[in-house]
Amino acid sequence: MAALYHWNFAPLLENADVLWAGAIGTLRLFAICMVLGLTLGLAVGLGRHARSRWIHAPATAFVEFFRNTPVLVQILWFYYALPILLPFSIDPLTAAALGISLNSAAFSAEIFRGGIESIERGQAEAARALGMTSAQAMRRIVLPQAIRRMLPALTNRGIEIFKMTTLASAVAYVELLQQGKLLASLNFNPIETYTVIAVIFFLCLFPLVQATYALERRLGRSDA
Amino acid sequence: MHVWNFAPVWANADLLALGLLNTLKLTGAALAFGIPLGLVLALMRLSPARLLSWPASAVIEVFRTTPPLVQLFWFFFALPILIHVEMTPYVAAVLTFSIQSAAFFAEVFRGGIVSVERGQWEAARALGMAPRQVMRRVVLPQAVKRMVPAFLERAIELMKTTTLVAIISYADLLFQTNEVAQKTFRPLEVFTVTALIYFFVIFAASTLVQGVERRLAASGEGMAR
Repeated sequence: MAALYHWNFAPLLENADVLWAGAIGTLRLFAICMVLGLTLGLAVGLGRHARSRWIHAPATAFVEFFRNTPVLVQILWFYYALPILLPFSIDPLTAAALGISLNSAAFSAEIFRGGIESIERGQAEAARALGMTSAQAMRRIVLPQAIRRMLPALTNRGIEIFKMTTLASAVAYVELLQQGKLLASLNFNPIETYTVIAVIFFLCLFPLVQATYALERRLGRSDA
Repeated sequence: MHVWNFAPVWANADLLALGLLNTLKLTGAALAFGIPLGLVLALMRLSPARLLSWPASAVIEVFRTTPPLVQLFWFFFALPILIHVEMTPYVAAVLTFSIQSAAFFAEVFRGGIVSVERGQWEAARALGMAPRQVMRRVVLPQAVKRMVPAFLERAIELMKTTTLVAIISYADLLFQTNEVAQKTFRPLEVFTVTALIYFFVIFAASTLVQGVERRLAASGEGMAR
């Protein structure tokens, strides 16, 4: 039987500021990807709902392409491949934000489309009959009802985005896992460091996951 | 203006093919361990005994709410020191992705088992079967059919997640791509070809899954998610 490992968290506490900088980086990337991913997702979702083929076909191609390739491949493509086509270089934050946002846009577009299509046609027709334009009917009548039904799926997407931010460490963007790598190699304490990083993510996301479950149960009761 | 040149990619096609093979190998291994482990976790979580259901719930929640890359780093860099073993990137990846996908498969199994009406249980019990027999002969065969689409979808997710092993230097398709890109100074072409390879393999799999889903829906089987 090998000697028991002595856990020592002191070096981590001394370097809490390094982890803090990483946490800020994680939150910044998460916020950017959440806003870009959801707004672009709504636009693409509406595009897939559109009747014109010129809008519908590119929206579908976008969704299929980004849903069927791994996010990490997309991030590395934006980081290593895209700059060759552009006259300027791309920093790690931009590459990671582009990859994660576009990927999330493709997934949330499907949530938006499903939500919009779940609202009965009669609602949009009634709104049109009252003299609203189709854009007004969508904004005032269909979307407010659809968003309610989509809420659990959208919070799930948010949780996925939060977990995906760790992939930015592959292009050396300063976020929690990247800072963890730095500390682990500096202090030779991968056990404590990666355990703490895992615990931080768990503590941030577990309440969100529970809230999503509760939301699902409540919506399941109020409108089946 | 950049002049596209795919010749260096074709010259290294064997390296990329080897990478794709390793990606498939890893996906297959993680599925082979992940599905049975997922079933065990689901049965434990459904058990009335807290000594079984609590640890299963803990494993499922922890692996579903932490990023897979953090898990991979933990298994590759931390676990070997803790239990004094040599860890290769392949073993660390199979371990991580098996447990991680087991956590997700467990929830699919649980959803499927719960979706089988209680009357079925009671009828089988009334016929004199033991709980274990009811599960094996009556509940699971029906549940599995309902779970097939969710399973296949999860398997596709797993294949996309395996790209993370490139970060700990296992020679999967993405790692090989990076190598070829550095060797040929043609990152644009190499990464584009790799994105397309992933797209075609995963798109073909997704299309197959949608076909299965339609057939199951046509045969009147609901879906469990």
